[in-house]
Amino acid sequence: MLPVFRRPVQERELRAILNYMSLENPFQDPLRFERQVPECALAIFGANGDLTKRKLLPALYRLAYERRLSAGFAVLGLSRTAMSDEQFREKMRVSVKEFLEDSPFDDDIWTAFAQGLFYMAGDVHEAALYPALDARLKEIEGQRHTGGNVLFYLSTQPSQYIPIAQGLGAANAGKGKGWRRIVVEKPFGHDLTSAQELSAELHKVFHESEVYRIDHYLGKETVQNILAFRFGNGIFEPLWNRNYVNHVQITAAESIGVEGRGAYYQEAGSLRDMIQNHLLQILATVAMEPSATFRPDSVRDERSKLLRSIRIMKPEEVLENTVSGQYGPASIGGEDVPGFRQEPGVNPDAQTDTYAAITFFVDNWRWAGVPFYLRSGKRLPKRVTEIAIQFNAAPLAIFNGNESNIAPNLLILRIQPEEGISLKFLSKRPGAGMKLRPVSMDFNYGSSFGERSPTAYETLLLDAIIGDATLYTRQDMVEANWGVVDAIQHVWDNTKFNFPNYAAGTWGPTAADDMLARRGHVWRQP
Amino acid sequence: MGGTIAPDRILHEMADLWVSLGKQSEGDAGVLRACSMTLVVAVEESDDAQAIGETIAALMPEHPSRAIVIRFRAADRRMLAARVFAQCWMPFGHRQQICCEQIEITAADASVPDLAAVVLPLTVPDLPVVLWCRSPRLFHLPAFPQMANIAQKVVLDSSAFGEPAGILKEMSDALTAAGRSLADLSWTRLTRWRELIAQIFENRVQLANLPDVSAVRVLCCSKSPPVEAFYMAAWLLDGLEKIGGHPQARFDSAVGVASGELNRVDLLARDGVTSIASISLVEGHAAEVRVGGLVNRAVLPRPTDYALMREELSIPGRDAVFERTLAVAARLAASEPHL
Repeated sequence: MLPVFRRPVQERELRAILNYMSLENPFQDPLRFERQVPECALAIFGANGDLTKRKLLPALYRLAYERRLSAGFAVLGLSRTAMSDEQFREKMRVSVKEFLEDSPFDDDIWTAFAQGLFYMAGDVHEAALYPALDARLKEIEGQRHTGGNVLFYLSTQPSQYIPIAQGLGAANAGKGKGWRRIVVEKPFGHDLTSAQELSAELHKVFHESEVYRIDHYLGKETVQNILAFRFGNGIFEPLWNRNYVNHVQITAAESIGVEGRGAYYQEAGSLRDMIQNHLLQILATVAMEPSATFRPDSVRDERSKLLRSIRIMKPEEVLENTVSGQYGPASIGGEDVPGFRQEPGVNPDAQTDTYAAITFFVDNWRWAGVPFYLRSGKRLPKRVTEIAIQFNAAPLAIFNGNESNIAPNLLILRIQPEEGISLKFLSKRPGAGMKLRPVSMDFNYGSSFGERSPTAYETLLLDAIIGDATLYTRQDMVEANWGVVDAIQHVWDNTKFNFPNYAAGTWGPTAADDMLARRGHVWRQP
Repeated sequence: MGGTIAPDRILHEMADLWVSLGKQSEGDAGVLRACSMTLVVAVEESDDAQAIGETIAALMPEHPSRAIVIRFRAADRRMLAARVFAQCWMPFGHRQQICCEQIEITAADASVPDLAAVVLPLTVPDLPVVLWCRSPRLFHLPAFPQMANIAQKVVLDSSAFGEPAGILKEMSDALTAAGRSLADLSWTRLTRWRELIAQIFENRVQLANLPDVSAVRVLCCSKSPPVEAFYMAAWLLDGLEKIGGHPQARFDSAVGVASGELNRVDLLARDGVTSIASISLVEGHAAEVRVGGLVNRAVLPRPTDYALMREELSIPGRDAVFERTLAVAARLAASEPHL
């Protein structure tokens, strides 16, 4: 019971303070409700960009549609283009309608949601922007009861990250009445040194626990499901080690080329763009030790430990254990497809890797000696991301000595498309004799759970608002990734490759097949 | 159809069914048998068989189960009959067929005491049994507790079970006596409403206003408050009591699209008139949330039986919030002058 006071004004004030400090929402029902989110404003730098239009706003609208956002949730968009709040709302309405996936657009819901959309124009390099931003956020706080909580989202070119962090720091916008957090999109630097510089600048304004480095792969339902699969079931974990696992293949293939992003891509390449972040994070999720709890730092500690256990290649080991590739022109399905060097904005002599295949080893007791093959490329035959865990074959072929009777078991974790899990094993063919055939036990996410899975951005935005960093990348993880990748990149930068070395529409250079063949393995065809 | 049924024969028929399904499947993909529970559905013979079949089929992909549908026939002569078939679907682009078993039993009222002995051996070993009782008549039969004892969870829909005070007391007493998990779809229908209310008070500013709530007002489209109204009021009172409040519950009638449907919920300030927060149904499918000068809208479709059962099947254990609310709702209904 709260104490009774004689003067009503004081009572109310004191009650508010007491409540603010101690009251828990008495209406929560975690058994049935989705996670509840606190009130906040989301300030998006780069609000006129593609990511905001294609991913962020559709994800936010969808969260509003699903009743996942607080009533006063607000978005403040920032970019250089002059626009009124109304123009911004209209622009976002058009984008959301266009890019909303697997979901209806409801005009009434949009109208209510759009009341919380605001916009301000400004140049992130201008110091005057930041005090104005702070003032606008305070104004929105009064209007929408956001409690002073602000999530900054850097959806700009990476070169603007440091100026924005500095501007927020100078205007003291990194601190306020409520919590302040910042979401940073990849790339987190272009090598170890630049990643450390970026972190150092962010840490001048935000504590590491307030920095959310987003890797949208970790937000995918099936990547999260790897944790559930491994640590929610008792039967797989005993097999999850060097005694039973022969090797692991992680593939992230894209069928498209650089799609007008040639100028950007030729500076990045597949190793930096995909393997340094997405694929190494997936590897860490597949291979990490179980965490004691499912608290963010507990899970991230284990992921980080794994990343730091990946063997860093010596220069002389690099070309033996890696393959760099670049696609050349080809005809696919009757259509002439240009090679990378023929793409607009690309240097005709570019040495950029549009394909990378790497053999990693994890130097710990669980995985010593087990190869982890990672490959990623553009203009491959199909868009697919999957993890294939190949187990050791039965030690003896007792069924007629027939080779087809000793196929190894294979566990496939499909990230996209058709998210799901398949286990391949052998079964006896009906009839006389012991003829075996491979069969597949499938779990398909879409059909097994009738409901639509949230997009990665829905999951990750919600996590950042709630303050759950489990699926975000921490500084030590980024640095561990760069440590591994820099060793390879340095050798590649000093090697003249004979590009192009694979035709668009094929599964990459033959050298990648040779790399596996040296250990008696072959790439699985997804 | 005979006058009696033997569980062994049904199990044998099921084994034959799987063999024939396997023979029918094309190529090497085969048929995958999926099962995570036994779902016993008790319905009146007059109940819409097609609609129930569709609901069960829709539940199968997420909650694959051996479904035992018992159809009750108001007849004095002892009669039991059964047939076996499969619910199948092909989720992987026709590569592989996934199937669940379904047993349909027809029973005359006079045979109800025999039913538990028939159903028990048909349940899948080691997996939970859920009884979804759609028949008010069965619920009131003396043999019902025997049937309920088979299940770890019993699901009812009290909206069809008679006047609220009586059914709420019966359920509350049954829960106390049996100690098993009990669910009421009238409560499940309120989940989205309750979630919206809880969401309002995630905001610390709004949360600080909660001790000022002196009354909760629930409006329904009926002359007297239905079970849902009592649940809603009871849940709110229970929550407010947790923070030291002692608000009153008020029930009013409203004009709405569906009879008995919840129409509006208000949390009223000390003057008993000013609304601290309100949620009202608009256009039959959306909720309008008004709080602190802000107006927000959210989709609030009327949940189907499929959606309600899907939610309940996802909760295998006991639901402490519901059990507390049921006790408060039973007291509230007993003291309500409308009734």
